Amino acid sequence: MKNKFSLRRVVNNMNLVRFRFWFQIVAFALIVYGGYIGLDLGDKLPTFACVFNSEGTGGKCYVGELQHDLKSTFDTLAGYAGYAFLISLGMFAVWFWVLNKGWCGFVCPLGTMQDWLTMLREKTKIRFSEYSWANRGKIKSIKYILLFLLLLLPVMIANSVFGIPKLPNGLSMPFCDICPGRMMIPAFTGDFNQFYIDFSSKTDIVMTTIGMIMTGLFLVGSFIKKRFFCYFCPMAALQYIFSKPALLKLYKDGAKCTRCGDCYRACDMDILEIADDVTSKNLVTEDCTLCLKCVAACPEDGCLEANFMGATIFESTKEGFILRMAMDQNKENHAH
Amino acid sequence: MHTEHTIESPNERQNRHKAMEAVHILNALKEDFKSPLKSMDYFYDLYEKVYCRHEPLHEGKTKIGTMCIQIPSEIIYALDAVPIRLCNGFYTDDEIGSDLMPQKSCPLVKATVGWFASDNFTDKPSIVYSPTTCDQKTKAGVILKEFGHDVIDVGFPRTKESEESRAYWRESVKHFAVNLSKFQGKKLTRSNMENSIKKVGYAQSLYHRLCDYRKEHKVPILGVEMFLITNAFFFDRIDSWMSAVEKILLELEERKRSSVHVAGKASPRIVYTGSPPIFPNYKIPLIIENSDALIVADESCSSNRMFNDMVSVDEWNLYDMIDSVSDKYLKACTCPIFTQNDDRIRRIVRLVRDYSADGVIYQAFAGCQVYEMEQRSVLAAMEREGIPILYIESDYSPSQQGQLTTRVEAFIESLKNRKRMKK
Repeated sequence: MKNKFSLRRVVNNMNLVRFRFWFQIVAFALIVYGGYIGLDLGDKLPTFACVFNSEGTGGKCYVGELQHDLKSTFDTLAGYAGYAFLISLGMFAVWFWVLNKGWCGFVCPLGTMQDWLTMLREKTKIRFSEYSWANRGKIKSIKYILLFLLLLLPVMIANSVFGIPKLPNGLSMPFCDICPGRMMIPAFTGDFNQFYIDFSSKTDIVMTTIGMIMTGLFLVGSFIKKRFFCYFCPMAALQYIFSKPALLKLYKDGAKCTRCGDCYRACDMDILEIADDVTSKNLVTEDCTLCLKCVAACPEDGCLEANFMGATIFESTKEGFILRMAMDQNKENHAH
Repeated sequence: MHTEHTIESPNERQNRHKAMEAVHILNALKEDFKSPLKSMDYFYDLYEKVYCRHEPLHEGKTKIGTMCIQIPSEIIYALDAVPIRLCNGFYTDDEIGSDLMPQKSCPLVKATVGWFASDNFTDKPSIVYSPTTCDQKTKAGVILKEFGHDVIDVGFPRTKESEESRAYWRESVKHFAVNLSKFQGKKLTRSNMENSIKKVGYAQSLYHRLCDYRKEHKVPILGVEMFLITNAFFFDRIDSWMSAVEKILLELEERKRSSVHVAGKASPRIVYTGSPPIFPNYKIPLIIENSDALIVADESCSSNRMFNDMVSVDEWNLYDMIDSVSDKYLKACTCPIFTQNDDRIRRIVRLVRDYSADGVIYQAFAGCQVYEMEQRSVLAAMEREGIPILYIESDYSPSQQGQLTTRVEAFIESLKNRKRMKK
């Protein structure tokens, strides 16, 4: 028999939901309040550490920086601004490679907030809603469109592209304007100043209004749909471009898969491939948040695993599954 | 001299014949093998009680008849009733059913129909739920209804990949739950459902622990013993079943420590697949294990398919529990009634690898069209994987014994040769 006290076994038997809950709280604290203890992880973070939370933030979101970097004339972009852009992007990629999409599932404060709303919904016994598979496929492209726009608009402010006149300066941080993080994250440090509509120009009125609507949608949407915002997140789109060489991976051994769909049902992002794909090894798909709930929900020994630089760190086991589902004993009345 | 002469009633005759069939198999299990498990006595007694002495097990409880594995026992237990799986293995009942079904029908379905035709039950189900799985089971439900039994169809899709199938089956299960809840006059609640999911889950976990011993180099338990244990889950009281299996696990652990192997050193290890061996139709498994081979795993609905896949719940509220239970009976199921069945093939290959098996024996009941038709693709897949496989067709009749034994023995001989060559 396997050694009862081996570390591997302890890890594989862990209650992932609880572990992740606490991990997310710590990460949330560092990202949202880290600034108060002098933490500064730089401005290339592959997660929503909001620049508008100026005092509290423990680092800054790269999407904000990216928009800033691109607001240069073509001439400067071809010169030093181009180098600066590439260096920033490289830094972002390095940060990202450490955790891969795990940034979304374990660190992102917006993701964590959505998970808290999910917990609240679960307490109220309201069923979560799902997209139909057809719609689920269609909305995949929205995040890429948003990413494209947030890259293009800053360029179009500084330059006249295809003869279109330069765009107004109010669009300099187009994504930040509509990102729910701008309002929600500072709110956690008691700063509600971002909840406003800016009447200084037409562009500002439109953008800040969309921002207010987005925040409303974020709160309502993620209450009824798990990780509602993540389906549309341009950060996820940007990250996915760099995902292949990342160090943390979600691997699947298709030969061990029964296609029972337990992983799919556990998946907050309703990723069908996780259950149905029995040929690919790397299952970090574009919407994956590497939350590892699928690994915890898989009852087959060694079918799914979280792998860091070639080493298995957490894998699905029958024993772990049975423990997590509390099916290891015959108890007549379970405590709730 | 004067002797009392009574004429045996048809039901008495049926009971006597079934008892003879049962005793024959139980004796074979007890006496034909070199090291029978002591803790199997519980199961011998159980089968004798039910099939020889015809004593009821569930007096005072509502019995819910199920025609296939797809009717969720979790929901039945949650509503304080007892599921009785009606798949039948008696030749006596098969003969009665033969008069009521087309000539080339599946013996299992004929036996079930025959059982209902005679209306001779020790634990009679008050209501029968019939999932629309294979054609014969589906139509048999209607025949049972004609006999005056309360039969309710539960719509089951025959593809499992599509979104519509999943949604349809989830709806079917919800209807079933509501219907049964009305029938029982009891509400399905979060806590009774959670308890019952965990209870059935525990029973499944015991099955998996039993199977772990079969993966070992020295196997402490016979395949026929496993079939008897899993088969008892069809009708036994779940709590006594679980404590009996716990005792078996203790004995297996002891045997493991003293390196007991129930077969010979060179006995080939077999994965059984196909039509389910249901007591007392253990014809093929007994031939296999009497021919110096050992069944180490199976892919059939009287054993592996019934226990392998466990319910996984994400949110322990009623909505998610019902969906999880539904998905378990559809998505993971390897029943041949589905259009595509790569999953079944992958399961068989997996079992061969995990249990270090030397070959596969595939039985199809003559008249079980879906298993007969799937033979082609399974055989081709096994050839691709380099796994020897024997396909046999049989039924419930006690004849053919010699012919079947010859074929099985020849196959096992060839496996032994193969093993020797490899060395």
